Amino acid sequence: MTPLLEIKNLKTRFFTSEGVVKAVNNVSYSMESGEILGVVGESGCGKSVHALSIMQLVQDPPGKITNGEVWLDGQDLLTLSEKEMKKVRGFDVAMIFQDPMTSLNPVFTVGFQIVEALRLHNDMTKKEARERAGELLALVGIPGAEERLDDYPHQFSGGMRQRAMIAMGLSCEPKLLIADEPTTALDVTIQAQIVDLVKRLQAELGMAIMWITHDLGVIAEMADRINVMYAGAIIESGNVRNIYKKTRHPYTMGLLGSLPRLDEDPGAELLSVPGLPPDLLALPKGCAFAARCGYRTEKCLEEKPPLEEIDGREHAVACWHWEEIAGSK
Amino acid sequence: MSRYIIRRIFSVIPTLIGVTFVIFMFQRLIPGDPAVAMLGEHATEESVERLREQFGLNRPLFLDREALAKGDIAGFFDSQYIRYMNRLVHLDMGESIHRRIPVLETLKIRFPATIELAFFAMFIAIIIGIPTGIISAANRNTPIDSISMIGSLVGVSMPIFWLGLMEIMLFAVMLQWLPAGGRISVGIEIESITNLYLVDSVLTANWVGFKDASEHIILPAIALATIPMGIIARMTRSSMLDVLQEDYIRTAKAKGLGRSLVLFRHALKNASLPVVTIVGLQMGTLLAGAVLTETIFSWPGIGRWVYDGILGRDYPIVQGGTLVIAFVFIGVNFFVDIMYAFLDPRIRYN
Amino acid sequence: MAEITTEEITVTDFAVREHRSLWVDAWRRLASSNTARLGMFIVAFFILSTTFSHFFWEYEPKKDLNYSLKLKPPTLIPNEEVPSVHPFGTDKLGRDIFRRVVHGGWNSLRVGIVAVSISLFFGGLTGLFTGFYENIDTTHIERLVLFGLTGLVLGSLSAWVAAQPIQAIFFAILGVIAAYFKNFQKGKALRMVVFTIAGALIGAILGAFVSGAAALISLIWGAITGALLSRPLDGKFFSNVMMRLMDIILSFPGYLLAIAIVAFLGPGLEKGMIAIGVVGIPVYARLTRSAVLSVSQKEYILAAQSVGEGHGRIIFRHITPNILSPIIVQTTMGLAGAILSAAALGFLGLGAIPPEPEWGAMLGDSYRYLTSGAWWAVLFPGLAIMFSVLGFNLLGDGLRDALDPKLRT
Repeated sequence: MTPLLEIKNLKTRFFTSEGVVKAVNNVSYSMESGEILGVVGESGCGKSVHALSIMQLVQDPPGKITNGEVWLDGQDLLTLSEKEMKKVRGFDVAMIFQDPMTSLNPVFTVGFQIVEALRLHNDMTKKEARERAGELLALVGIPGAEERLDDYPHQFSGGMRQRAMIAMGLSCEPKLLIADEPTTALDVTIQAQIVDLVKRLQAELGMAIMWITHDLGVIAEMADRINVMYAGAIIESGNVRNIYKKTRHPYTMGLLGSLPRLDEDPGAELLSVPGLPPDLLALPKGCAFAARCGYRTEKCLEEKPPLEEIDGREHAVACWHWEEIAGSK
Repeated sequence: MSRYIIRRIFSVIPTLIGVTFVIFMFQRLIPGDPAVAMLGEHATEESVERLREQFGLNRPLFLDREALAKGDIAGFFDSQYIRYMNRLVHLDMGESIHRRIPVLETLKIRFPATIELAFFAMFIAIIIGIPTGIISAANRNTPIDSISMIGSLVGVSMPIFWLGLMEIMLFAVMLQWLPAGGRISVGIEIESITNLYLVDSVLTANWVGFKDASEHIILPAIALATIPMGIIARMTRSSMLDVLQEDYIRTAKAKGLGRSLVLFRHALKNASLPVVTIVGLQMGTLLAGAVLTETIFSWPGIGRWVYDGILGRDYPIVQGGTLVIAFVFIGVNFFVDIMYAFLDPRIRYN
Repeated sequence: MAEITTEEITVTDFAVREHRSLWVDAWRRLASSNTARLGMFIVAFFILSTTFSHFFWEYEPKKDLNYSLKLKPPTLIPNEEVPSVHPFGTDKLGRDIFRRVVHGGWNSLRVGIVAVSISLFFGGLTGLFTGFYENIDTTHIERLVLFGLTGLVLGSLSAWVAAQPIQAIFFAILGVIAAYFKNFQKGKALRMVVFTIAGALIGAILGAFVSGAAALISLIWGAITGALLSRPLDGKFFSNVMMRLMDIILSFPGYLLAIAIVAFLGPGLEKGMIAIGVVGIPVYARLTRSAVLSVSQKEYILAAQSVGEGHGRIIFRHITPNILSPIIVQTTMGLAGAILSAAALGFLGLGAIPPEPEWGAMLGDSYRYLTSGAWWAVLFPGLAIMFSVLGFNLLGDGLRDALDPKLRT
């Protein structure tokens, strides 16, 4: 079965006055229809930029997609003209963003913004679109949906706004919904509600979801598969079980090890990965993680490890020494 | 929304009162006795005193505490300021000390002249300024952008009076296309309804008059509009640029909206907020700049009239004229505040 | 969960970007912008040429007079009619316009600097304090002083009416007492009643010494004062009052106000400086205030307060460095505006006393002769104004772009 989304060798660069920022470095992976993929990594690892590259929303200048192919349902998005891409955005692929307060236009009502999305891609009258918008708001769990269509974003609470954003994103029933850190700006209880909502919607509507986050706890509940990114590249990927239970990459181990656990000794130390992520203006020639890795060797400093499949699609790692590290446990 | 409007009205009232107070104070502070100025240096003590009595210039400024000491409460309140406020409320602004013409009458003629000029200039400034700003912002860092922005800066740097003079030199003296001054040519009559010549001539279908009035107003209006035009263009540009960086613009694009819709629908409405504020403030500049423009173009407006009044110590003229100017300015900004609430729902629902 | 065996890891930073401070960064950006460079060049040229000529090229305006050369067009080569070189021509009194333009620049520069300094000093301080006290509570001592002063000021009115200075002192004391009770929440109504009566009594008793009528007026005003003092006046209140005053000044269009002030003070360049300076005060007040407001809401201010830093220290150490950017930009562009205003005043005959050379005045003198063809007397002084103002505007613009933190990558 052909995958819904297939990315090959994606490279995105930012050409700034201080140099070239290598934000996305040779990223390749695929997603099936209806799959929930988690993209995990620390700030600045390229997870958001690569998603924006899929949507071709990277600020140009200074950003530019310099290489790669993005196949969505049979067409390479990177070869499309802007006019054609406009039709794809919001209709085949939708994206929702982190901060719902700033992501909704404060001077238009929520209803207007949803109706706008609907009428853009569908042949609907204003009345039909408004009805549908009301249905969508109800679908995402906003009480009194009909009346709330005429409210402005600042009249919604944070969680409500994010729900409204989700409603807007799903309005044209896209095949893929990209969610860029949708719960980071919300507090924990609301976070849980949103996660539940998305899971429910996915079950009902069946679209594929790419959930970008730095929060490993959130992603564990939802994702089918996970891509762990570091310095613009994927360093480990696979299904949820493998990633959490059979972690192979030292970075991922460090991330998971730094999570406090309820079943741990109260006095146990929280492990942290020492050092800082590399400067994307001057990436080292070898493995980008080598500087912080306790297992590094000369080879790690000299050559970049490729992302190797160690269990078909279910698990892949980009590390020269994963076997030895796994063996030593 | 109406609650907001009422709140704004209440908040404006103290400012209005403060303005009348300042105007009153100011004139009294300027050295020089208008009575002496009127009668000349050789007038007798008596006649000067009589004149002062007539104009109420011998009463104390604000409160008469001597009267109070004598137990005279009514006399306590009989002061120049109280009399002034009293008359003001009855719309009596007195007569020009030197010419004996009621201030109100002169205002009726001169005020529309300045207003017509100021509004027409503002119109030009907006019509040219805002689109320039939008185009610049949409084409950031291209030659169009640089040219417009430098052009605006040059416009902002030019002294109004000099520009006016250059215009006269070019269009009136050298090319002889347009008249060098005045509001209307001798011999042309326009029936006065509002005293705004452009409006009146259209209302009475007086096309000859309209053409003549237009020819006269165009040069001073352009001179006056240059500075606000530049400022509006720059403000629009920077406001647009700021807005274009916002997250909701990214969302709009992610929905699949095209460039022009994003620009003119989503960005513009948000960007217009600071621009509207600037337009209001620039109105003040226009009213002020009127003094200089009116001088050069011999435009019969308030600006020059008030200026002459200040130098001639003609209190009623200064009071009446400045009051009207200040009130118009406050009025325009009040209107701007309302517009602001109209555009930005966050303000009206506060 | 597998443990990572961590030997001593020496973390090596393979790539470290050099540290660049805000100012160095800004300077770099400024120097790279073409428009800013042009602005800097013009400004430098302007300042240098005027300063130089003021000190080294003698010019005595009172002695400059030569009717035979009246209104001659620009002459670069001396001839029979015009025996001297006049690159810009001569004016109505036969004076060399070029020379007067150069020396007029000195006057314009002086006016600009003094006027902007006045606006910046008074407006900046006002904005600083109103912005600061808007959000941050007054300390005990500050409150005592504020209330005391309010009492003094309000009381002075009653004191003046009754010709009894001592009333003011009593009201000041009332104010100080009221300051102690400011934060008591309970019995707000009671407090208001008490102070109103106290105020009324002070007025009535003291006023009675003068006359019955005076007592009555003082009683009423005293009651009002007392009531006002009983309210929990805080920083916000005083800020609002101050900004209201600024609003009133702002309601008057700039030139008009300047003209009025000059009319009051009399002619002369110095008076013009003061006038333009005063007109600019509210602009700087508003600007500083809004900058202070946005800075004082940042968390490092809250942190400084919780550590117990005094207000003075917070203001000068934390707030001031962070509000410098918009102030620098405004000052530069304010200089441009001041030069324009000075020219406007000069044009109208206010400002420089003739025969002092001043660009606006030169225009004012010569524009009558425009229709007879003497374009040079009008063109060159005007160009001088335009270029100097343009220079400052370009520079200010460049500074704004360079100092804008949002543009930092």
